[in-house]
Amino acid sequence: MKFTSPATGRRRRALVLAAAISAAALAALTGCSAASSSGGTAAAGAPASGGAATGSALTVADVAPFSGPDASLGPTYLASCYGATAAINAAGGVLGHQLTCKSVDTRGDPADAVPAVNQMFASTSNLALVIGCTSDEAAAVVPIINARKMTMFCMTGQSEFDSVHFPYFYRLVPPDLEESYAMVAIAQQLHYQKIALAFGNDIGSQTFIQPAIAALKKAGITLTTDQTLDLTATTFRTEAEAIVQSHPDAIMTEALGSADPTLFSEIEQLNGGKMIPVIGTSAAISPAFFKSAASAVGASTFSSQFHADNLVTETSGPAYQAFSAALLGQQGKVPGATGDFTTYLSAPGGVHLYDGINLASLAMIMSKSTNPSVYGPDILTIGDGAAGATVCYSFASCKSLLAAGKAIRYEGPGGPTSFDSYHDSTGIFQIDTYSANGQVNVVGNLSAAQLRALSG
Amino acid sequence: MTIFLSSVGFGLVTASVLAVAAIGFTLQFGVTDVLNLAYGAVMIAGAFLAYLLNSHGVNVWIGLVVAVAACAAGSVLLNAGVYAPFQRRGTAPITMVIVSLGMTLIIEFGVQAMTGGTSVSYAMSLGPSVSADGFTLTTVQFVVIGLSVLVMAGTHALLRYTRLGKAMRATAANRTLARNCGIRTGRVITATWAITGGLCGLAGVIFAMDAGSFDATSTDLFLVLILAAVFLGGPGQAYGAMLGAVIIGLSTEVSAAYITPSYKYVIAFVALLIMLGVRPTGLLGKTA
Amino acid sequence: MNSYYVINLLIYAAVDAMACLGLSQQFGVAGVTNFGFIIFQAAGGYTAAILALPADSANGGFQSYLGGLNLPFPVPWIGAAVVGGVIALPFTFLVGRRLRGDFAAVGLLVTAVLMNLLATNYRPLFNGAAGLSLIPQPLQGEYNSQSTGYQWALAAVAVALCAVVYLFVRRITESPYGRSLRAMRDNDIVADSLGKNLLSLRTAMLVAGGAIAGLSGGILVSYITTWSPAAWGYAETVVLFAAVIIGGAGNHRGAILGAILVPVGFEEVTRYIPTTNGLPPNLIPSLQWVAIGLLIVVFLWFRPQGILPERKRVIRLAPLRPPAEPGPAGPVPADSVPAGSVPAEPGPAGPAPRAEAAAASALPRPTPPPTAEDVPGDREVVLQAVDVVREFGGVRAVAGVSLSVRRGTLTGLIGPNGAGKSTLLAMLAGTLPVSSGHIRYLGEDVTALPAYRRARLGLIRTFQLASEFKRLTVMENLLTSVPGNRGDSLRGALTGPRYWRGDEDAAIARATALLERFGLEAHANSYAGDLSGGQRRMVEIMRALMAEPRMLLLDEPMAGVHPNLARKIGGELLTLAADGLTVLMVEHELAIMDEFCDPVIAMAEGAVLAQGTMSELRRRSDVVEAYLVG
Repeated sequence: MKFTSPATGRRRRALVLAAAISAAALAALTGCSAASSSGGTAAAGAPASGGAATGSALTVADVAPFSGPDASLGPTYLASCYGATAAINAAGGVLGHQLTCKSVDTRGDPADAVPAVNQMFASTSNLALVIGCTSDEAAAVVPIINARKMTMFCMTGQSEFDSVHFPYFYRLVPPDLEESYAMVAIAQQLHYQKIALAFGNDIGSQTFIQPAIAALKKAGITLTTDQTLDLTATTFRTEAEAIVQSHPDAIMTEALGSADPTLFSEIEQLNGGKMIPVIGTSAAISPAFFKSAASAVGASTFSSQFHADNLVTETSGPAYQAFSAALLGQQGKVPGATGDFTTYLSAPGGVHLYDGINLASLAMIMSKSTNPSVYGPDILTIGDGAAGATVCYSFASCKSLLAAGKAIRYEGPGGPTSFDSYHDSTGIFQIDTYSANGQVNVVGNLSAAQLRALSG
Repeated sequence: MTIFLSSVGFGLVTASVLAVAAIGFTLQFGVTDVLNLAYGAVMIAGAFLAYLLNSHGVNVWIGLVVAVAACAAGSVLLNAGVYAPFQRRGTAPITMVIVSLGMTLIIEFGVQAMTGGTSVSYAMSLGPSVSADGFTLTTVQFVVIGLSVLVMAGTHALLRYTRLGKAMRATAANRTLARNCGIRTGRVITATWAITGGLCGLAGVIFAMDAGSFDATSTDLFLVLILAAVFLGGPGQAYGAMLGAVIIGLSTEVSAAYITPSYKYVIAFVALLIMLGVRPTGLLGKTA
Repeated sequence: MNSYYVINLLIYAAVDAMACLGLSQQFGVAGVTNFGFIIFQAAGGYTAAILALPADSANGGFQSYLGGLNLPFPVPWIGAAVVGGVIALPFTFLVGRRLRGDFAAVGLLVTAVLMNLLATNYRPLFNGAAGLSLIPQPLQGEYNSQSTGYQWALAAVAVALCAVVYLFVRRITESPYGRSLRAMRDNDIVADSLGKNLLSLRTAMLVAGGAIAGLSGGILVSYITTWSPAAWGYAETVVLFAAVIIGGAGNHRGAILGAILVPVGFEEVTRYIPTTNGLPPNLIPSLQWVAIGLLIVVFLWFRPQGILPERKRVIRLAPLRPPAEPGPAGPVPADSVPAGSVPAEPGPAGPAPRAEAAAASALPRPTPPPTAEDVPGDREVVLQAVDVVREFGGVRAVAGVSLSVRRGTLTGLIGPNGAGKSTLLAMLAGTLPVSSGHIRYLGEDVTALPAYRRARLGLIRTFQLASEFKRLTVMENLLTSVPGNRGDSLRGALTGPRYWRGDEDAAIARATALLERFGLEAHANSYAGDLSGGQRRMVEIMRALMAEPRMLLLDEPMAGVHPNLARKIGGELLTLAADGLTVLMVEHELAIMDEFCDPVIAMAEGAVLAQGTMSELRRRSDVVEAYLVG
């Protein structure tokens, strides 16, 4: 090994060291100056929350995994952002500002999500709203976003957020608890007597198990076996065999990534070529999931044996028309959104975040401010509706009503909202299936009473 | 009883895939003294190559042959271009491990960059299943077992009866001495990487067939199983790899039937750690 | 301007730098390649969490975890460091034994994967894959933890602790103990034969590095308030290794630089790549990993020492001063008389030639000089082998050898190739265990004693192949073998330079004298690996002499050495033998045997053929035949 002479070596090393430190410092400091947000002209130096300079674009940030096992979630939410903001901009924007979308990749783990969110605040000058925040990172980022006084519409079903008070946190999707009840309600409706559970061992899926077991008991349905799937494993033959041997009528499952499709194909193989009916969660309503499952067991087999719970979303009517037009107009323009774009019309992230963006935008107009501390309460007013409010179904129509001085209640494709004191609003559930070509169909409804009957 | 029999069946399939992979890995180590941790990455690259062809309509078995050839060539390049130059410099074995980890990252995430993060599966029919009292295997699984038996027999024949095999054994025992005896160790090494590279590609494709669906990171845990099988039988010993594969494959699957399946790999991990701590030369290796 | 991001970077930099310092200490300084390093950070994170969290039933009930003791700051951080250190102990079974470095590394890697698997799947432990959240931050009750003031304070504390860790590892490394660690890294078998307890050194480094990693985990958890298995996969260990390799393994500033460049700089820079491009979203993270892999391989090829390589420790040669007053009773300046040695011979005053006196006193004086009537055959037996056998898989390399070596003799050991000489020597030294038989040293049965213990009793060996510590200077090579240096223990190192300066200076003086005697003082501050073959041989012999041996086992010390130099070395050995040193020397050069060795033992095919002077042996037909045939 050659060693350079001390003097030149030292000088060179000092230069390299200085260069490296300055590079790192520069990288950090540039975060504070001109933004790197997508599209739009962003004014430098404007504070993140507070009035935005006239004429500049407002940013809606999609804080979600764009890489890692849950990489399909980020683009789903981005699609609804593109759709919602396009419609808003077409109707004249918010208080003279156009809206633009930005993606913030949390990489699916909390240690990466925290700097991602901090960098977002540092580099986004006209941040007006945050959407996304899934179970992968919510526990870490919600406190931060809340402390920065930024409104967020989150997708996490974690129970922490059922009763912990974060004033800037809003949730339009049900807690996992309720989804478990919905799945059991579906089982009841389809007259299944014996159910096997197969849930993945990750954050989002683990929380379904206990409520599901309790609800099954209450419903008088036999639990034949409870299998946990390690999402990093590549085969689940033993679990599949255990399930087949327990002779269930149907399987309740959520195991994202390649786990569920693999499980289905192995169950089919071990069950003499016959697939056992499956009840999935709303996370299964995504083009990526359909694609994997269909290639594992065949599209027609899968679609004939599959049901999933999903929050009620409209499939017709003025809200749906506006939503569908807005979203489908973005087909092909959303980076990372692959597969059948129409699935986003039913995907929970697609529908409810669109509603969230509309609610926030209308609240800004109503309170005449883009400052979340100011417009926040108006979200509740517009979502729940004061007495005598006129119902409107799209941003454009709501905006004109506001301009005419009327009190409004926004009802989007996600159905009417009803916020509790923790800013959680859960709607009613419906039962979805797929057609063999991947299209989502609504085949039934579940009432709030059915769910309450199952809750402990 | 049925669960036990069916898990024995699964165990045989896992053991078969593991045997093909472990034989390749252990021969690479035995002949060139490199713990090639990038082996799993090359496996999945082969699997994806077959998938690429398969998604364009080519029969997956043809894709398998192509993958075998490509991985053979790729492994020869990997050794000649990366490992051998480092070794010629006198790099310590521990640094070689770090180099192989670096190569793992390059290959595995290179594949992921090209194919995306979602998981895929082959378009192939699994064939009719044969069932007997809970023991259920598809035709493809029988083929996999058969391929593995062929590979084991072939390895035995290669090492025992061919000149190349004997040259490999000599080079593995003492490279300098082998060279002094007139063996062209350079060629032996190239041939070894070509053969083991082919085994690696074969292992990758049958792994993917067996897995149902796979993505670029699917072989991360499988590599640990390979290491467990190799160290159980004795690093560098081909017969040890076969023995280790059977033991690990069967024990993980059968144990999964009785303990929570999420923990089935724990058995393999613990076996590996015990072997390293107590008897690093393996069951079939000689104590130093 | 938003300062939260800067604070975030600062805290991450401090935490990563701390972790890299711990890793660099283990890997760069001590040569312990700990691929399971991330486990220690994870353990620290979890410990801090469960110490700070309230009981799980009181916390909303949706997380399940052990502990939940709701202890105030700074207890969680202290607990994190302690647990990080304690869980290092079971790992010593992998690194302490004579396991190949790469095998041990694989074992550690697998352990990291195993731990992650268990934490993910066993929910009652740490809430499984969901991990722990809503972890209370330090002094959360008294301050608003989201205010910039608090966060700057937290960042300042993190940076301060990082500085403390830096000083801690520096103090360990820049001491005789640190030198022993680096010697172990460069050549552990040789370090073992010079009296270093490898297991104890490695355990200490594992525990110290583990504690540092644990503390870093505790700090990180206090900042991000959540911790889950996704945050500590084996990928994170690879990133830390890349950081240490790129920054410079073995250089503590290099570790900090690596931490700033790789986990912080590199990972953060990719966030700035605009996301409106049409690229698939998974592409950038995948390419990031490819880049890290490339960086590792490229750096290991072109610049394995890293950006900031390990510094050369230049040691000033101690000047030799004559005694202030001649005579036995007079006080003698400390640096010309090594501590603990017998003072110069009593006798008439008069300054002896300075170099000779100092050199003579620099050389080992383990036993009183022999009296005039001393006859070699009457002296006591220092080393004895009784029916020693060594088998290698059915082949008997040494087949029942019995021999005795008497004090003060220069005994030779000759024999054709394959006679078993080196094997016998290794067994006598303890670097190879016997298959059967006994070895007695100074009357004690040492058959089961490991090499480093025999070395501490004064039985020192050299090796046939080059065995200098390549990345230590010549002077450092000599200093490593000095026994009894107060700074050569962890406690001594931590106490500080003032504590061991005296011993160190005395050792430097001895080494200086030895270097001058052998004519290598000009190379004192060259890396031992850069010297010529003959010079390296001399360094080895000097190093062996610095160990204050009672008996030397030399394995072909003259191989590749110029005949004049060989003669000089032989002369030195004779002088030392006259002063009571015992030597057993394996050599092929029969001329050396003629000139210096008496008696000479001849071996062939694993057994002793004959013993006597060279001329006697030459007359024996069986010895001659063994050489012709064997």
